[in-house]
Amino acid sequence: MKAANRAIEGPIRAAAGTPMNGIRSKRALLRTIMNVVLRLANAAGLLLLVLIFALPFVWMLSTSLKTLPETMIFPPEWIPRNPVWKNYVDAWNTGPFLHYMTNSVIIAVSILLLQMLTIIPASYAFARYKFAGSGFLFSIVMVTLMIPSQLIFLPVYLELSAFKLLNTHLGLILPFASSAFGIFLLRQAFRQISDELIEAARLDQAAEWKIIVRIMVPMVKPVLVTFALFSFIAHWNDYFWPLVMTTNETARTLPIGIAKIREVEGVGTWNILMAGNLILVAPILVVFFLSQRQIIKAFVYNGVK
Amino acid sequence: MTVWHKLRPYGMVAPAIIIFSLFFIYPIFYMIYLSFYDWNFISPTKTFVGIQNFVDLLSEPEFMQVLSNTTVYTVLTVTLTTALSLLLALWLNRGNFFYGIVQGAIFSPHIISLVSISLLWSWLMDPEYGLLNWVIGLFGFGKLQWLSHPSTSLVSLVIVAVWKGIGYNTLVFIAGLQSIPADIYEAASLDRSRPWTTFTKLILPMLSPTIFFLVIINMIGSFQVFETIAIMTQGGPVNSTNTLVYYIYEYGFRFFKIGYASAAGVILLVIVGILTIIYFKLLSNRVHYR
Amino acid sequence: MARILLKGISKTFKDETVIQDLNLEIKDGSFTVLVGPSGCGKSTTLRMVAGLEKQSGGEIWIDDTCVNDTPPGMRDVAMVFQNYALYPTMTVRGNIEFGLKNRGVPRNERDKLVKDISEIVGLAPFLDKKPQSLSGGQRQRVALARAMVKKPKVFILDEPLSNLDAKLRNQMRTELIQLHKRLGTTFVYVTHDQVEAMSMGDEIVVMNKGAIQQADSPMKLYQDPANLFTAQFIGTPAMNIIDMQGMKGLNIRSDRPVGFIGFRPEQGLLNPDRPVEGLVLKGDILTRESLGAENIYQIRSDAGTFFVKTFLRPLEPADAVTVAVPHDQLYYFGPDGGRIYGAGMQERALIAGGAIV
Repeated sequence: MKAANRAIEGPIRAAAGTPMNGIRSKRALLRTIMNVVLRLANAAGLLLLVLIFALPFVWMLSTSLKTLPETMIFPPEWIPRNPVWKNYVDAWNTGPFLHYMTNSVIIAVSILLLQMLTIIPASYAFARYKFAGSGFLFSIVMVTLMIPSQLIFLPVYLELSAFKLLNTHLGLILPFASSAFGIFLLRQAFRQISDELIEAARLDQAAEWKIIVRIMVPMVKPVLVTFALFSFIAHWNDYFWPLVMTTNETARTLPIGIAKIREVEGVGTWNILMAGNLILVAPILVVFFLSQRQIIKAFVYNGVK
Repeated sequence: MTVWHKLRPYGMVAPAIIIFSLFFIYPIFYMIYLSFYDWNFISPTKTFVGIQNFVDLLSEPEFMQVLSNTTVYTVLTVTLTTALSLLLALWLNRGNFFYGIVQGAIFSPHIISLVSISLLWSWLMDPEYGLLNWVIGLFGFGKLQWLSHPSTSLVSLVIVAVWKGIGYNTLVFIAGLQSIPADIYEAASLDRSRPWTTFTKLILPMLSPTIFFLVIINMIGSFQVFETIAIMTQGGPVNSTNTLVYYIYEYGFRFFKIGYASAAGVILLVIVGILTIIYFKLLSNRVHYR
Repeated sequence: MARILLKGISKTFKDETVIQDLNLEIKDGSFTVLVGPSGCGKSTTLRMVAGLEKQSGGEIWIDDTCVNDTPPGMRDVAMVFQNYALYPTMTVRGNIEFGLKNRGVPRNERDKLVKDISEIVGLAPFLDKKPQSLSGGQRQRVALARAMVKKPKVFILDEPLSNLDAKLRNQMRTELIQLHKRLGTTFVYVTHDQVEAMSMGDEIVVMNKGAIQQADSPMKLYQDPANLFTAQFIGTPAMNIIDMQGMKGLNIRSDRPVGFIGFRPEQGLLNPDRPVEGLVLKGDILTRESLGAENIYQIRSDAGTFFVKTFLRPLEPADAVTVAVPHDQLYYFGPDGGRIYGAGMQERALIAGGAIV
């Protein structure tokens, strides 16, 4: 900003024509040029950055509409002349995709609903009640928050197998029926609500459950939405858990189906693979563009608690 | 207080605590228990072998290679991600509409399934027809083997991880930068602080909690890398990308050496545990600037 | 309408005793103000009456019922909170009728009550708005309406005006007084502001360190303070107190030892034009505060620094002044701060401080 002001100042002074100002005007001109160059470089940098992150997705779309020979042409054609929509049909037919899709929806939605049912009362109790052992019980939540599922899949697999829950929806849902992260977030939110509000409700003769359902939960709605987005995206995308906990198609989800296209179609059929990939990615990308702000908040919140 | 009032909080936390105990806390102990046994999952008897599994693991050159792969992968991913995203955050920390779009663009890989990202990058890194080789060809470089050669495979995976993680890291840094009150910058500029001094003496120290957080989170995440490896390399070529979780997965589910895999799991648990403890120590000891 | 009786109330938080053996009768239909410095236990007392806090000992009676074990919602008590405590997720109407719904008041009756009350407090146009979109004064009215609509026996207000700006506060003060007249309900009001207490209450309870210092009508408190604390707490500027320690030449006739002598700043006569029988002090003016109709001087004498307030008189230009306080305007207190009645000075005119002492 400052540099720009000086740059404007320069040429006007130069009009006075003294030798001093002559030197000044040269400097000012240099500054103006530098300024323009910097701005251009900045814009070019931003563009490059966007390309690095957007082009792969564009390439994915482009490939998904090509014939196999077309994928091998260089320099690449970004817009295929005759889009091959059939690739999507082929991808969809490599496996029971409707089944995968239904499983994905059932599992992600059930996990979300169960999490809501378990984390709301738990976080409310941790935030609002004093009870013996609450410190110990909360430490279980904190330890869970720190344990990644990648660490314990083997014993959980054995456990689920003992319960006869392998290859069932329940086996994929139950381990995530509650969320330590959710409890952590929501407990903070409940704690921030002023005591006066609860006291006012007590004087209004509201029963405890009514205070929770009618007053407290509506107040933490933004945090609930944030968490819901986080949870749904995480479980919709999850590949590891369904891969490890299933041995047949009964409960397998979309990510497994997509990864399997390669086995069915053979290596090198990138056009069909990318078409399948788009089926998985498109819903998430659409949701992301519709509520970018909310989703970014949902994920970044984790880092700035 | 009635009995009901006393029991209510326990009733409210019970479902969550039961889930956590059943699927997170108990498995930890079960895994530690299994690591002292020899068991193939099918046989009804487990044989107690003491620390033999650990001894075997640590004397197995393949496992040492796996440990070193995991460490190299983690160190590269974490340093690159953290350093680059800090630079990006300083650059992109502006409220303007265009910067918003750029932030959205670099963040987008974070919400995409690792399956998609792995498949997409397998295609981009295809040695014959991949877009990447064409792009570096434009600059006069020869074709790279990327994932197909032991000398580049691990680094290729690092590139994918950095590409996926950098947007999230940048936005967390930006959130950290924005939590620094603006009047501090104003005071610094009135004190005629140079940009470099402002950065090293003010911004960096005030960001240190965010940096710790991201470094630890990224480390814990990198130590458990699985999806990209399972889809892109299956640990190859010649074991050059085999990492801990993939190793456990293979020994558990392919070779059914449950005790042995559990022992490797315990080693991973110890690593993650140490990192977590370091994080909390730093968190409680760190200087509070606010 | 209700009379409230507190019998031997005490309250301890962990190891700390906040209130000890408090006895108080709040008269039916009165506007009683609990006033005192922060941490004196006034809010705790109020919250115990409402049932939001349980007393550690003693009994609370509302009319002829001991409410010790009655939950807050069943005491027929309504409360206005310092920060209003409006339910942010409900509309103004929702806020007002929440308590009615919980009591099972039928819909048509509810609508009528809400309509009536919102007209009284002037909220009718805002019924479908959320509290966040209202101004401070309007939120205050919602809080009042929410309390009033339940037609409670007792109305409890916990520093309800402290979040308003000065002008609005004065306006709401008058409105509350009128509201009290109109409803005739018992009002219990807590504030730390003695001016607010004096202007609103017909009964004032001065509290300090968890104990009642004095409970009286405003004029009685002002004219006849029971102890040093009340004397200094009520009135602006506070009553001047002269410590008898280190004072010589004063010959006081009293049954008990006198620790302090006090007089109100407005009773000190600055440079009186005729001789006054009473205490005469000589000193220098340190500061002058001119408020138009009244002037306040800070004066330093050998007896200590004190204030004098004059009405409708020109500002005193001289630095050295004489201040006289008539005999009947002097208050005597024992060394423990208790008031001593019937004390007086031996000589007719005494000069303390200044030249003689």
